[in-house]
Amino acid sequence: MPVEIQKERYTSKVATVTIGATKEQGGTRTSVVTVGGDSTLPFLQFEGEIPNPPVIAMEVVDRNPDWNLSLKAEFGDDILSDPAKWAKKCVDECGAQLIYLRLQSADPELENSSPEKCAETVRKVLGAVGVPLIVQGCGVDEKDNVVMPMVAEAAAGENLLLGTAEQDNYKTLTAACMVHKHSVVASSPIDINICKQLNILINEMNLPLDRIIIDPSVGALGYGIEYTYSIMERIRLGALQGDRMLAMPVICNVAYEAWRAKEANAGEDEFPGWGPQAERSVLWEAATATNFLQAGGHIIVMRHPKAVKLVKKAIDDLMVPNKY
Amino acid sequence: MVEAKKYRVRFAPDNLSIEVPAGTDLHRAAAMAGLELRSGCGGEGTCGRCAVLIKEGKPQVGQGNLGAKYRREGYVLACRTLVTDDLVVEVPATSRLSEHQLVVDKIGKREILAEQEADPLARYPIDPFSRKIYVKLDPPTLTENTSDLSRLLVKVRQEIGREDVRIDLDTLRALPETLRQGEWAATVTVSDYDGNSEIIRVEPGRSEKPAYGLAIDIGTTSNVVQLVDMSTGVIVDKRGTYNRQARYGDDVITRIIHAVDGKDGLKQLQDAVLETLNDLIDSLLAAGELKPEDVGYVVTAGNTTMTHLFLGLNPRYIRLEPYIPAATSFPIVRAKDLGLHVHPAAPVLSFPAVASYVGGDIVSGLLATDIADAGAVSLFMDFGTNGELVLGNREWLVTCSCSMGPCFEGGGIAFGMRASPGAIQRIKIDPRLFDVKLSTVGGDNPRGICGSGLVDSLAKLREVGIIDRAGKFQEVKSDRRREGTDGPEFVLTWGREAHGGRDIVITESDVKNLIRAKGAAYAAVRSMMRSMSIELDGLDRVFVAGAFGNYLNVRDSVEIGMIPDVPPEKYQFIGNSSVKGARVALMSKKAWAVAEELARKMTYLELSVDPGYMDDFMSALFLPHTDMSLFPSVRR
Repeated sequence: MPVEIQKERYTSKVATVTIGATKEQGGTRTSVVTVGGDSTLPFLQFEGEIPNPPVIAMEVVDRNPDWNLSLKAEFGDDILSDPAKWAKKCVDECGAQLIYLRLQSADPELENSSPEKCAETVRKVLGAVGVPLIVQGCGVDEKDNVVMPMVAEAAAGENLLLGTAEQDNYKTLTAACMVHKHSVVASSPIDINICKQLNILINEMNLPLDRIIIDPSVGALGYGIEYTYSIMERIRLGALQGDRMLAMPVICNVAYEAWRAKEANAGEDEFPGWGPQAERSVLWEAATATNFLQAGGHIIVMRHPKAVKLVKKAIDDLMVPNKY
Repeated sequence: MVEAKKYRVRFAPDNLSIEVPAGTDLHRAAAMAGLELRSGCGGEGTCGRCAVLIKEGKPQVGQGNLGAKYRREGYVLACRTLVTDDLVVEVPATSRLSEHQLVVDKIGKREILAEQEADPLARYPIDPFSRKIYVKLDPPTLTENTSDLSRLLVKVRQEIGREDVRIDLDTLRALPETLRQGEWAATVTVSDYDGNSEIIRVEPGRSEKPAYGLAIDIGTTSNVVQLVDMSTGVIVDKRGTYNRQARYGDDVITRIIHAVDGKDGLKQLQDAVLETLNDLIDSLLAAGELKPEDVGYVVTAGNTTMTHLFLGLNPRYIRLEPYIPAATSFPIVRAKDLGLHVHPAAPVLSFPAVASYVGGDIVSGLLATDIADAGAVSLFMDFGTNGELVLGNREWLVTCSCSMGPCFEGGGIAFGMRASPGAIQRIKIDPRLFDVKLSTVGGDNPRGICGSGLVDSLAKLREVGIIDRAGKFQEVKSDRRREGTDGPEFVLTWGREAHGGRDIVITESDVKNLIRAKGAAYAAVRSMMRSMSIELDGLDRVFVAGAFGNYLNVRDSVEIGMIPDVPPEKYQFIGNSSVKGARVALMSKKAWAVAEELARKMTYLELSVDPGYMDDFMSALFLPHTDMSLFPSVRR
């Protein structure tokens, strides 16, 4: 007996955003990344189109980070002290489709690197890899408001994805993106209304909607992951039902969140039942990441090469057409 | 027993003096001297509205919400300051509960809704609750020897065509002399008491005065009394002032707490509102050269809590879940039972309510419109401390209420005030220089900002970019944009041009309060429309009543997302619809019957159990809204 598959029809789809610019487009990238365009819920390919599979961005920090030793061992201090080499390794050996460069050294509590130095780091990383870049400030608003415009100017035309614009601090970054032709990460604290408000505010400064990426703020497995899941689900449903202010592709910063979970860091001596930390942490990051694939994430930011490998495999599996 | 030491307090510039026992607080001392000070917190020292300046003497000063700058200048909070010395105290205008002068402002522009003029009485048959009839009786003789009363009743029954005529005892006591004094001609006042006709007054001969009645709106913030000529329905005169219950708190919740927690709290609140009404009545009577006996009927409309307090009913359970009032339809009482300064036997009707938070003022408001008679779908919005809404037509009506907070009536806003003289009601801001042009109620020097001025401010601050759509202050080049003690603020009027010499500002926290208030109102509109599956284009008419002085700028209200984005011509501003409906009821028994039916048949939506309301509220915390498709006319 034939089974009739019920299909939902949506009136709209997720917007597409392209990051990076090739030589012809005014930049120096050898490849660009386009995300979004989905006309259905994640991976329901029998129902609609998913023209662009989710992508992995790997995190690179502009100073040797205080990460778990098992994670650092994957790269080695030599690489970790040189963002350009680090980025190159991520692309060449791990297949990163984007580099997520965090300018942590600009933090006034740390090295307090100058805006010029930060811009120089960005230029070096751009020179080392051909993939597009996401550049993230240090998280201190006053400092980022000086650093990011400088970065935007130094990389004018490269169509970077710059982060992050927040409800209380979006104007400087948005203006920099406008002037120097970059896209912006609009971050909201697991709140669909603030998410939408921020997108409207940014758009009102005349930055086109196809240059905004939503960061809904994610939580790691075991740390409120379900809250983000349901917010992302609502964002996607909003997009499919025609809400242009929720239709932007979504970035999920799994790297930071998964790696601050206790489960990713605690040693086996402390919790013998949990198994070896080195394996467990990889699984923690991979499990968090695949969850957000299912929730509708378009750009997944990750750290561990082995976790990246697992998640890339998951993406390939999920992208096999399942048309009935 | 040693008598408590007494001190003399003189209040300037009024030059009112009073001797009070040591330890009396200044707020109370002022009240005893006949000076009402503002209070939003009921004497908790948190609202900072009763600031007064100590000119002479040393009182005992308590803690409270008053800026250090003011403390240094010698200001204290009256409610937290105890008299422990002879004092001279200056009371600034901003701390006074001043006379609430009714605004009659006629601005002809299309988008500003001045009050509609059509008389709502026209829709109902005139059949007043009280009337005067002139009768000539045959004098008694030895053969025609029925009693004075029987003689009168026969004539009165003939005149009014009803059998059920009774007489009030006090009137009967005076009857024999009155009839003879008028040589068997008399003017009889017949009032309807619970369905019966009752003679409440007999005047000798022919009285030149018509029967008078009062239409009263008992608002949480202000009370309005209309003196109505019941032979024609004409409003002879009207008066309005602040409800003196304000001294026990700004909103109904604080007052309910006062009524049920303290000793005599309920009595104090009832006395406060009766005092307020009696002052208005006395003033009306004096102006019209009338006596209390000339007024033979009273109809009041108020929200459920106000009606409870007016009648001295226990309001405790209105506040507590599941929010149950003592009654929604109220017994008719006599003026003497309440102590109103009208004819002692005059019946007093109180409009029936729908639920705890949709009161008789709304039912009355509906009488003042034709919403319940028309086929067109109308939305009725009454904005006050609570926003009450009605949606429907002659076939169905739903209603709900939402808490807006007191800010559109001036509460919780740094320079908020009600629509009385000196209130900023309209503003314009130059988009480049940020210069401000404003107009005030009565053209007085600015004293503060009222509801319509706040709506205007929000829209204009947004328009010129001083605040963003989330209500956050932006950096602009103007010395009017500055950092105040409570964060960013914008100066609307410099102190040199303002009454009282202080700069009048609107702060970021004012803006956030206003956004929450308008968000609550709009979310209620959305929830109600959603529950009835009505879209924007399904709204044929929108009636706005309430606290915004006498007009509202529709464009600005849509611009900030407070009211639905429908064409301005669909809007009608009906001002104080509550007192209007009360007058209609006074003049038409049929209308009263309609009101009783309306109160029964309206469907009440409880928003606190509506799961969509919170979502609607959150989406409305933006200027105008995060769903811009609901505001197609708002410029992007």
